[in-house]
Amino acid sequence: MKLTEFEGKELFRKYTIPVPKGVLVQKPTQKLTIKLPLVLKAQVFSGERKKGGGIIFAKTVKEIKAGLKKLFNSKINGERVSKVLVEEKISPLKEYYFGFSYDTESRGPVLTLSPQGGSRIGAKPRSGRPRTTIVPFDITLGAEPFIIREALSQARFPSEDFNALVKIIQKLWKLFIDEYALIAEINPLFKTADGEFIAGDAKVILDDEKLNPGERRFIELGGDIAILASGGGASLLNIDALLRFGGKPANYTEYSGNPPAELVKGLTQRVLNRRGLKGCWVIGGTANFTDIYETMRGFIEGLREIKPRPKYPIVIRRDGPRQEEASLMLQEIAKKEGYNFHLFGSEVSMAESAKIMVREAYNRETRDQKAETRKKKR
Amino acid sequence: MAILVDKKTRVLVQGITGHEGSRACAEMLSYGTKVVAGVTPGKKGQKVSGVPVYDTVKEALKKHPEINTSLISVPAAAVQDAATEAIFAGIKLINILAEHVPTRDSAEIVKWARMKGSIVVGPASVGIISPGKGKVGSIGSSTISKVFTRGPIGVVSKSGGMTAEIAVTLTKEKLGQSTVIGIGGDQIIGFDFVDALKLFANDPETKAVVLFGEVGGAYEEQAADFIIREKFKKPVVAIIAGKFTKDLPQGTVLGHAGTIVARGRGGYDSKANAFRRAGVPVAHILDEVPGLLARRLRK
Repeated sequence: MKLTEFEGKELFRKYTIPVPKGVLVQKPTQKLTIKLPLVLKAQVFSGERKKGGGIIFAKTVKEIKAGLKKLFNSKINGERVSKVLVEEKISPLKEYYFGFSYDTESRGPVLTLSPQGGSRIGAKPRSGRPRTTIVPFDITLGAEPFIIREALSQARFPSEDFNALVKIIQKLWKLFIDEYALIAEINPLFKTADGEFIAGDAKVILDDEKLNPGERRFIELGGDIAILASGGGASLLNIDALLRFGGKPANYTEYSGNPPAELVKGLTQRVLNRRGLKGCWVIGGTANFTDIYETMRGFIEGLREIKPRPKYPIVIRRDGPRQEEASLMLQEIAKKEGYNFHLFGSEVSMAESAKIMVREAYNRETRDQKAETRKKKR
Repeated sequence: MAILVDKKTRVLVQGITGHEGSRACAEMLSYGTKVVAGVTPGKKGQKVSGVPVYDTVKEALKKHPEINTSLISVPAAAVQDAATEAIFAGIKLINILAEHVPTRDSAEIVKWARMKGSIVVGPASVGIISPGKGKVGSIGSSTISKVFTRGPIGVVSKSGGMTAEIAVTLTKEKLGQSTVIGIGGDQIIGFDFVDALKLFANDPETKAVVLFGEVGGAYEEQAADFIIREKFKKPVVAIIAGKFTKDLPQGTVLGHAGTIVARGRGGYDSKANAFRRAGVPVAHILDEVPGLLARRLRK
């Protein structure tokens, strides 16, 4: 779960990482008591907030009012602004960058850091030297001060800042570990003329597996073939296949493991409750242990809730434990209740069933099928 | 030969009295794999499919010193504790079936395993099967075990569901498998494509390898780099799922926890290009895999 800057800074406060004085504003008329000058920051998730006009500096009360009005009426990279963080403006001498995240190369946490932080961090470096240094951390050892000092030295931070930065990075590490964060980033960390360090921004992503394990993922893809896919990997591969053969997927969703019928029912309703569908593809690989009968029972229960009754073709390709029973049940229901089912097991490959789905949905042949038909005619 | 699992495999099931654990135990036994003990704290003295249950891994090892593999099927929040217990007890192969393990916990398990010299396959691993010799985990249950046939192809897959589908596709074309491994689709995993390639390189039974990858992370790129760097000799064919994610917002997570949409490294093109540079053909659909393998095996 991605946190807004304000939520991230609340966490920073909990771990005593210094942040600017600020208040969260939810409507443009809210009274403010922070000293001028101020910075108004739209609370959106887009990384390119500054470029997108989501940050406004205000020196007078008039500018604050105008700025807030402008932000609340705007969209930053397509995202509507409903909250604005108003903070005292810091005039930094320097801006640093620190972020903890996980890395598949070292298969553990890494600290990414740079003595040149700020919004240019993502930009390509002008010289050959990369802007950031990445240092793997040993999770069983933790953020020992010497490890942090070595990282600072490697990234060429000024010696005078070492001791203060070690303390802040240790706090950031504690947050990263104790909150089960996937990313905990300060960019920029301001250094002021008084030698103080203050976190200008906060980017925190918490681990969904800790917060809501097993949450179903659902993404609208805008097409006209509804998809109920099983398997984390198979679902991706099958959308690729459908697109390859000219199909337009309506959605991405996926159920894995051994889902109860009730879950499949709900997902079926969510996927099929929309207009303009030309087909429904229930697709999965050969299951290792998923009870196919249970899954299909859930699908049928969901399907029965859809009004008017779908007339479009429904292509079902699935195999695994209790496949034969499931297939018999589906055939019977198709006959009795008048559904347009096309049922396949593993004798038809997943990609073949994608072709069949495209042909049935759009009443036309895919490129490959056309080529085959031509061959036969000759 | 085969890798990781064979006739000498002696399994301990941590979480044996749970739903998944007891099912996996029964399935392994019915496949002929020797499950010799189980652990569920507080349930010592019980039996699951005739297998005795103990409170701790140490206790189980004392009674059954032949244990060389542990299957972990405990709730996600208990996985780190269970896996670390197995690592510190000195078990050399640990297969984590449990899903939804927080990334932080996985990172800790992987680090301890490296320091103590254990191999951890998973988390979220469907299991490991060396057809005809043995299996660990939920891979190839009941009637499905017939789709896994003995032969020369090593299979490594981020997706558990795809392991059986790949085996079906290969078996149809008379290409049996030496060992099939579900490595899990999490961001941090204990055993990746490179680890598998290292073992397959020295396995005389394995003549070629199929890798099933997904967008997100850099395990596929690392495998391609390894093939070039180490001049990996055996033919490798890859499939990468998630080409369509190119147009989705960066950072979107779908499918598995490690399937994180990225531009550049981690994205579909980065992986496909890395494999092609390494001389590894990337199949567009699974159906192409047997043909690509057969052509390379004939050479």
